[in-house]
Amino acid sequence: MQDKLRRYVDNLFASTTPTRKSVELKEEMIQNLSDKYNDLLSEGKTDEAAYNIAVAGIGDVSDLLKELETDESSPVYVQDIEEMEKARRKSAMLTAIAIMMYIVSFVPVMILSMVDSPFQDVMGVPLMFIIIAAATGLLIYNNMTKPKYRKQRDTMVEEFREWQSDEKDRKQLRKAISSALWSIVLAAYFIISFTTFAWHITWIIFIIGAVVESLLNVIFALKKK
Amino acid sequence: MSITSDLIRGHTDTIILARLVDADNYGYEINKSIQQRTNGNYELKEATLYTAFRRLEEGGNIVSYWGDEQTGARRRYYKITDTGRETYHRLIGEWKSAKEMIDKLIETEKMEDKK
Repeated sequence: MQDKLRRYVDNLFASTTPTRKSVELKEEMIQNLSDKYNDLLSEGKTDEAAYNIAVAGIGDVSDLLKELETDESSPVYVQDIEEMEKARRKSAMLTAIAIMMYIVSFVPVMILSMVDSPFQDVMGVPLMFIIIAAATGLLIYNNMTKPKYRKQRDTMVEEFREWQSDEKDRKQLRKAISSALWSIVLAAYFIISFTTFAWHITWIIFIIGAVVESLLNVIFALKKK
Repeated sequence: MSITSDLIRGHTDTIILARLVDADNYGYEINKSIQQRTNGNYELKEATLYTAFRRLEEGGNIVSYWGDEQTGARRRYYKITDTGRETYHRLIGEWKSAKEMIDKLIETEKMEDKK
């Protein structure tokens, strides 16, 4: 019978947007109704009679629900949309620059290996790593500063979207770090192998890469709580 | 009964505030004590009750919080604020002067016999 009460109230609220306020009101109503229902039972009423009395006591909720609806529909500000658009463009720019830097990072090594200079080995590789590091930094910065999906309406759907957006951010950051890691690993493999000619052992670098990757997984899983 | 309800309806806020002056309380208990005080003759509809709660809360007269009972039932409690107490006293004053006035207005010079 308690379920029947809950179902009755659910039906009353069927047409409303599930906002925090409406869900709270619904819970409050169900709680009060079942208190009343239990009281009536202890007074000696039958299940059926108690249910009918409780339901009859609800009255006309149409005005109350209408009030809920009008409350929640706060407008989305145009200014916010413009701001979001600007942030989106900035983010695209930063990502493009970072990827360009990854590609260009091999250039110093190539150029320095072509010209016969004493700096050949000393300069090329560190320069490449510096560029890669800067590009990774850019990607991470981009991910951290990107505006989160902001709540436009105080509804459950919006809360879910916000959570989803947070989740996506985290995944993107994770991906960016991973791609940077593997390009560094690959570059290090070739550079160390070519300079030392220790091909028989340098493959270890990939194993180290895999270890770092799993460590990253652990760190992310821990951060997520 | 329905005519009496109409007369009382205008004082829903005062009635609810009165029930909160002494202690915090939740919807069903408030309604129950209203019912008991009137010997079962008057009871607020839930819809009226929640509408009044919302109106009083928006006006800063009451605040609400969720109690955490050990029994598992979570009830929403209401608490009267200082503004609420002021409103309560003001409404009581208004009612008293209205009552006096109405009493004078509906009196007739020669007392009719009641049958």
